[in-house]
Amino acid sequence: MEALYFNIDSGYIEALVRGYRNGLLTAAQYVNLTQCDTLEDLKLQLSATDYGNFLSNESGVLSTSLIGTKLNDSLVAQFRYLKAQSSEPLAQLMEYITYGYMIDNVALMITGTVHERDRSEMLERCHPLGWFETLPTLSVATDLESLYETVLVDTPLAPYFHDCLSVDDLDDMNIEIIRNTLFKAYLEDFASFAKTLPSPSDEVMARLLSFEADKRTINICVNSLNTELTPDDKLKMLPGLGKLANPAFQDQVAHADDLEQLKMVVTSIGEYKGFFDDSNGKSMEDHFYEYEMGLCKDAFTQQFTYSAVWAFIRSKEQEIRNIAWISECIAQNQKDRINNYIAAY
Amino acid sequence: MSAISESTKHRTLVAAIGDEDTITGMLLAGIGQVTNEPGKEKNFFVTSESTKVEDLEKKYTEFTTRDDIAILLINQHLADKIRLLIDTFTKPFPAILEIPSKDHPYDPEKDSVLRRVRRLFGE
Amino acid sequence: MSGAGNRESVFPTRMTLSLMKGKLKGAEQGHSLLKRKSEALTKRFRDITKRIDDAKRKMGRVMQTAAFSLAEVSYATGGNIGYQVQESVSNKARFKVRARQENVSGVYLPQFEPVIDETINDFKMTGLGRGGQQVQRAREVYTKAVETLVDLASLQTAFVILDEVIKVTNRRVNAIEHVIIPRTENTIAYINSELDEVDREEFYRLKKVQEKKQQAVAAEEAEDAARKALMTEAQKADEATKVEELEKKVEAEQINVIEENEEDVIF
Repeated sequence: MEALYFNIDSGYIEALVRGYRNGLLTAAQYVNLTQCDTLEDLKLQLSATDYGNFLSNESGVLSTSLIGTKLNDSLVAQFRYLKAQSSEPLAQLMEYITYGYMIDNVALMITGTVHERDRSEMLERCHPLGWFETLPTLSVATDLESLYETVLVDTPLAPYFHDCLSVDDLDDMNIEIIRNTLFKAYLEDFASFAKTLPSPSDEVMARLLSFEADKRTINICVNSLNTELTPDDKLKMLPGLGKLANPAFQDQVAHADDLEQLKMVVTSIGEYKGFFDDSNGKSMEDHFYEYEMGLCKDAFTQQFTYSAVWAFIRSKEQEIRNIAWISECIAQNQKDRINNYIAAY
Repeated sequence: MSAISESTKHRTLVAAIGDEDTITGMLLAGIGQVTNEPGKEKNFFVTSESTKVEDLEKKYTEFTTRDDIAILLINQHLADKIRLLIDTFTKPFPAILEIPSKDHPYDPEKDSVLRRVRRLFGE
Repeated sequence: MSGAGNRESVFPTRMTLSLMKGKLKGAEQGHSLLKRKSEALTKRFRDITKRIDDAKRKMGRVMQTAAFSLAEVSYATGGNIGYQVQESVSNKARFKVRARQENVSGVYLPQFEPVIDETINDFKMTGLGRGGQQVQRAREVYTKAVETLVDLASLQTAFVILDEVIKVTNRRVNAIEHVIIPRTENTIAYINSELDEVDREEFYRLKKVQEKKQQAVAAEEAEDAARKALMTEAQKADEATKVEELEKKVEAEQINVIEENEEDVIF
């Protein structure tokens, strides 16, 4: 029955998203891109894709950072358009998507504030998708308590701050912990929201989010090896969903002292077996991205889903990373690594 | 000659002037030091497209006159903007080192020191 | 006179002559020593310049690899970490340098050595959520790159110092070779010519004296011959005393000459 009414509110959006998805670069187009010798060539190749002549207004020498910015702009434009057209519950879902960027922006603003940096400079660096009206006023805060009471309480992020209000001083380590604690709360909240979505969106979202959570769990544990973070600190940051979320696993990964112990735990999950395989020069991150792209691709096989939006955003982000990577390889003449991109479509 | 050894003893820092990527890399290597001491707040300077030449000159002069800097790294394309200052800097300390940046590969023809090398050998 | 050239203003005596000779010898010795120093430095200098050239080219490659590792970071983190990195810098540098000194022919060349304090890591938390491994790898790559740069900086500082020292040494060598040695030689030549002049005057004077003496003798002999006939045996005894007197006179004259000589010197 869900499918019957889906198109009333969201048919247009889904059509749009699928259209956008078809605009994502294909493997053949990637091959063309990797053949480029200069960034100008790359620009030419990209103009034959959905990006069109997004670089044509740029005079002067092309730089990789410029390309990156422009690519990002195109993502933001697409996202905003979708959001403007969306109705409930998709609008809510898209709100949730922006929260992730908001957390990054808040962390950035706090970092900058701690070091008394220029506010306009910081705002420039904030991700446009994570923008909210009171973001600029964040720089008035000196400690988390006042930050919460004056600014954040009015933002959708407020509930996430409950867990980390105990942090009393804002230094770099704490900010990173805050960021990850917020993310944990955000993911958990997002997941519980996703459950309310009509089937099959909820299933797809659950899959995607649980992987996102596992990715964070693994990353946090790997990256916090050899730091002074205690297992308790880590446990606080590990999201309570995903395949690694059961207490036994969490306890094990948090207490792992070296990579081998971590590997043991993670590879005991069938799907994640290959993550630590670095035989063909792939890093853990590459495996994550690859796996995630697989999930996103699968997400499009279901019809009448809201999750397609999320899958599309992730795919697009990956594509931006890919193009940035390829242009970086071209600019720096490191052609032997150029094929490290992950093309899912 | 002992005067040199005295003055070099305190020179332990590596300073850097460069674009964001270069500085990020240098900072990852750990050269950065931020203190509250006046005149020695930071030993690195991030430039962007909009950085003015005057600011560049000011920072350059600041770093070359600080007594705790042994080596000053500067992106070559930035060095080009203040070439005269660099060419006329003849003191052995700090050592001025022109380094390439991501978007500007290294060009030995422009390097002040290498040009001196060439001149000496009459090339 | 030979003093027309560039020479020191000295009195041309044998004393100054020996002084000057000593000076010339010293200058020549100094010249050869400095020349050898300069050669040793130049050898080192050429060695260094060659190494600088190589190192600078190598640096280009090393920096490229390093920049690439940063590209990997932004690929993994999906964003720019520059800002975060800048803000994470603490008040103590992890990577410092220490200057060691190396002695090349009396010139102290500083040699920078990287000093890495492994207890300091400002970026442990950077990329905790994602990309942390790439950040740590980039950190290592950049540490290596900066080490290369430090080596290069040592070479370059050595280059600047050596350049300066060689210039100074060469100036000294040239000064000795083209100013001090010719001047001393000129002075010696001047003193020699002056002394020769005095010798010649002396010789001429002695000759003149001898001539006078011979004239006197000849005149006396003529007188003698004229008087001989008139002379008696008794007169012969008188003659002997006269000869004695003459000898005394010559002696006195000789003393006079020497005195004159000395006057000349004083004058």
